[in-house]
Amino acid sequence: MAKKKSSPNAVAMKHQSPKPNPFATKSPKLSRSDDNATTKETKKKKKNSKLGPKAMAMKVQPPKPNPFETIWSRRKFDVLGKKRKGEERRMGLARSQAIEKRKKTLLKEYEQSGKSSVFVDKRIGEENDELDEFDKAIRRTQRERQLKQSKKSKYNLSDGEEDEFEFQSLGALSQRDDFEDDMPPEEDEDDDGGESGKKSYQFNSADKDGDLSDGNENRHKSDKERYAEMILKSKNYKAEKSKEKDENKDLMEELDKKFTSVIASKALTNKSFSTEYMKKHEVSATQIFGTSEQEKSDSYDKLERELAMERRAQPSNRTKTPEEIAQEEREQLERLEEERQKRMHPTDDYSDEDIEDAEKPSTLRPRSISGDDLGDSFSLEEEPRTKKGWVDEILERKDASDSESEGDDSGSAEDSESPEDYGDEGSDEDDSEGERDILNKDWEQSDDDNLDMDLDDEEEDSDEHEKDDEAYQKELEPRDLKRLKRNDAVQASKSDDKSLGAKKLPANKQSSIQSDLPYLIEAPKSMEELDALLDNLSNADIALIIHRIRASNALKLAAENKKKMQVFYGLLLQYFATLANKKPLNLELLNLLVKPLMEMSMETPYFASICARERILRTRTKFCETVKNPESSCWPASKTLFLLRLWSLIFPCSDFRHVVMTPAIFLMCEYLTRCPILSGRDVAVGSFLCSLLLSITKQSRKFCPEAVTFLQTLLRAAKERKPKSTQDSEIDHLMELKAPRPLLYIHECINRIDPLNFLTIMDLPEDSLFFTSDNFRSSVLVTVIETLRGYVGIYEGFSSFPEIFLPISTLVLELSEQENMPSALTDKFKEVAELIKTKADKHCMQRQPLQMRKQKPVAIKMLNPKFEENFVKGRDYDPDRERVERKKLKKRLTQEGKGAVRELRKDNYFLQELKSRDKALMEEERAEKYGKARLFLQEQEHAMKSGQLGKGRGKRRR
Amino acid sequence: MVRPYAVKGKKRKTREEKYDRDEEEAAEQVEEPSKPAMGDENGTQGKEGEQFELEGIPIAPTTDQNPKSGPGVIFILEKASLEIGKVGKTEQLLNSDDHANFLKKKGKNPAHYRPDILHQALLMVLDSPINKAGRLRCVYVKTEDGKLIEIKPYVRIPRTFKRFSGVMLQLLQKLSISAVGKREKLMRMIKNPVTQYLPVNSRKAGLSYSSEKLVSIQKYVAAAENNMDLVFVVGAMAHGKVETDYTDDFVSICSYPLSAAYCITMICQALAGKWNIL
Repeated sequence: MAKKKSSPNAVAMKHQSPKPNPFATKSPKLSRSDDNATTKETKKKKKNSKLGPKAMAMKVQPPKPNPFETIWSRRKFDVLGKKRKGEERRMGLARSQAIEKRKKTLLKEYEQSGKSSVFVDKRIGEENDELDEFDKAIRRTQRERQLKQSKKSKYNLSDGEEDEFEFQSLGALSQRDDFEDDMPPEEDEDDDGGESGKKSYQFNSADKDGDLSDGNENRHKSDKERYAEMILKSKNYKAEKSKEKDENKDLMEELDKKFTSVIASKALTNKSFSTEYMKKHEVSATQIFGTSEQEKSDSYDKLERELAMERRAQPSNRTKTPEEIAQEEREQLERLEEERQKRMHPTDDYSDEDIEDAEKPSTLRPRSISGDDLGDSFSLEEEPRTKKGWVDEILERKDASDSESEGDDSGSAEDSESPEDYGDEGSDEDDSEGERDILNKDWEQSDDDNLDMDLDDEEEDSDEHEKDDEAYQKELEPRDLKRLKRNDAVQASKSDDKSLGAKKLPANKQSSIQSDLPYLIEAPKSMEELDALLDNLSNADIALIIHRIRASNALKLAAENKKKMQVFYGLLLQYFATLANKKPLNLELLNLLVKPLMEMSMETPYFASICARERILRTRTKFCETVKNPESSCWPASKTLFLLRLWSLIFPCSDFRHVVMTPAIFLMCEYLTRCPILSGRDVAVGSFLCSLLLSITKQSRKFCPEAVTFLQTLLRAAKERKPKSTQDSEIDHLMELKAPRPLLYIHECINRIDPLNFLTIMDLPEDSLFFTSDNFRSSVLVTVIETLRGYVGIYEGFSSFPEIFLPISTLVLELSEQENMPSALTDKFKEVAELIKTKADKHCMQRQPLQMRKQKPVAIKMLNPKFEENFVKGRDYDPDRERVERKKLKKRLTQEGKGAVRELRKDNYFLQELKSRDKALMEEERAEKYGKARLFLQEQEHAMKSGQLGKGRGKRRR
Repeated sequence: MVRPYAVKGKKRKTREEKYDRDEEEAAEQVEEPSKPAMGDENGTQGKEGEQFELEGIPIAPTTDQNPKSGPGVIFILEKASLEIGKVGKTEQLLNSDDHANFLKKKGKNPAHYRPDILHQALLMVLDSPINKAGRLRCVYVKTEDGKLIEIKPYVRIPRTFKRFSGVMLQLLQKLSISAVGKREKLMRMIKNPVTQYLPVNSRKAGLSYSSEKLVSIQKYVAAAENNMDLVFVVGAMAHGKVETDYTDDFVSICSYPLSAAYCITMICQALAGKWNIL
């Protein structure tokens, strides 16, 4: 019993009193201020359960429903299919429930508030209304137990009741016993162990059991029975074991048999051993359980070990189908072509990288015989090389790059006045490692280029591809033919080659017959040595010697060979140059030299490019000196021409920038602009240079205005001199060279136009009569017009095409109308003029007039709406989780606060009502009392006034 | 994924979006002088930009100096079916494809739940050149159950229906959709009589196949006064008829029943023709 005092104020205080966690309780509005926390919770539960639909249904049941309680709350936004938490809530019902609750709690408190003492029922379980009698009893017993468990009772002897639990646990144990019996015993010892264990269990149980009635079944078996069972089991087990042993033996025998059969069929690779083993096995097979068993197992083990130790078959790449190979090749070709195209275009920045880029091609394209179509004659030699394994290629590359570095050193030592490009090359050496793979690519690319170009030749060549390099002489003939073909393409009209080649053919064969040349030839170290070596030998022999030098001093064979070969390369180039300057020209030998030169420059690309640049530089300085003298002809010698041609074959012409080819092109253009045309020979050389330029620029479509202008000049030279023809002088004054006289003007009509042989022209003396003949003129005009046609073909894509070629076309038309012009020539002129005209027209058609540019109206700026995928109402999509959490808590805090305030307000209202009712009651009571008193007094007064008080009364009473 | 909220200290815009008509008007008046200034700014900017591009070539003068200055057009899409349903555990915008069974279970006709009509119609309106030229003033959508939604002309409506329904769902639940990276509200639910938002001097035309008055839309548009804003009321529902009391006119522009999207396209084309928007 305890006294409790509380007042309405205290009630409110309790509501507002700071709870440890206002959110821990779910709905504080339901919480009433009670003495016991437990009662509070239970009441809450009650309330909640009443809110549930079931409870509501029960509420609805009463016969007299309050009409207000049937009103349902209204939904603001109706969502189809949504069940909201508060949906079932009826406002009226909730109100009446709240009032009921207050009556139960607040009212009682209020009633007791005036009391000085209160009854508190402290009986166990009594404080909780929800517990029924049984639960209360349980609690009481629990409490009793707890008291018993105290220290004092620790040493008390236990009653029978406590043992009950132990019995139960033992019962479980015995059941486990049963389970173990079912398990098949694995071994004798194990079995024994299990048995003993069981026994111990049983002993324990027997010890403790006492009067347990419902235990295990084992209890009912006698000991004898159990032992009999045990023995039976062990016997069973032994029988099984022996049976298994027999089976194993049988299997083993079978396996042995199979093994011998396998050995007999010689499936095993180790034949000798297997036969040996067979013998042994046969012996051992006769006596399986004999003494030789040990031996047998030994031999078997040996074999087994051997088999295990044997190297396994390595998985190799699956052999590819022809389709796959073709596909791969095609892919590679595509890739290489793409790379070539890339190199053809300029890179954007002209930084150091650019220099490197420019540098690379020379090194990376050792095999690039022809970026253009002209290298077809050399596809023969390259095909077998690509058929080598790529490992070989890499080795080769390695050597090549090594040699490059050496070559660089030597190169830089040689030419001290070399431009800074050389220094760059030196730095490139470091990169050579990284470049190697690219080198490989390029290697293949050059082949690919060849393949592209030689699609026609491919078929003819295919049989020759199979041949070795050894069958070298035999290939001379087709190569010569191809060289001819190339010459045709250049259109320098070297038609005599055929006959030359034909003449040389028998000589080749002879030379191959008399082969008394040394087989191992040391690479010559100086020009004299080379001259001595090659002096007075037939062309084929020279080729053979060069081949043997290269073979005996191959880069792969020894490290010092690189240097040797580089020296040899320089010598060979020198030899080539001197040979080209000789008169008469040994064209066939030159042709033969081209192939080894190209191959060697592929092996030592750095060195080759250095040599080429050096030569170009020297030629240029020489030319600059000679051009100062206006009298002498400064046109390049045949040596220069041949070297230029050679480089155009060795190095890729289509690159946007190349260490060798770019200066070479510049040199040629300079020749064309700066050299004055003085004789017919100059005309021939110039036209040759033009055609060479054409062949070089064919693929990259670089614009060479010099060549076009030169051709125009030549055409003008073919025109009849007229005094008034000064209107085109605008072009003339741009050039140093003039056509002082109508060099190419055809005076007489000629019927036949012979194709021009450039080589014979080169051989002719400058003042030969042939140069003044109309025949020469007409054939030069033919080459000029053909070259022009080539240029027209190349430059047709240029947007300035009409401006470049239209003046020429008018010139050509004029020429075609000239008298004495051969009909074939006029036809060609007209054709070319027509071609130019159509193409120029096409360009003109595409040209658009200058337009005022329209300003496009600007559309309004559209904004994207911000929304969430899978938006859920009420979820905060703030990425900051902490803030979300805080926000949530704050929201709940305000909610709870509001709820508390609301509850307090309602409490107050309720209490107010209560108080006012009490007050009214008291008032009434007081009024009644007052009335009574007043009545009495009135009566008294009345009596007194009426006089009854004294006499009357007395009288009456009396 | 989502733009983080603004830094805590930042206040909301002082100038609240006013929903009442008077204040809206006032706001427009305030805005008007600023508009030409903006146009000029654009023009000068453009010129500066051009100068750098090509010096010699003059730029043709723009045909329309200030496209926003002219009369505008307002579209009201009536009876759009935008309704949210709680399907399973999630709330979704109900459409006839995905929720046919759900709707049947609830005793509704799935054929009436066609938010895709609204989607298409909105795409047509907001993609039209008259909108790009800035002549579209606003689009109002009135749903079947009477909610009114205001859609700004510079909203880029999601192109896929799924995303569109996501936007609409969020709009119906949060009552507004703001722009990505901005506080500006692109769509919002507004108070109901739509007439309070319509300009005073405007011609309001309702479109219905059921109307007796069959007109050519080009002629009809051309006949309208030049300085008058136009309001077109188009139904965005599958079945039924637009019933509004605020329209001056009730016309049919085709002798065949048209889809809302195509009807809007026709109107937009006619308007573009009238205002020389190419």
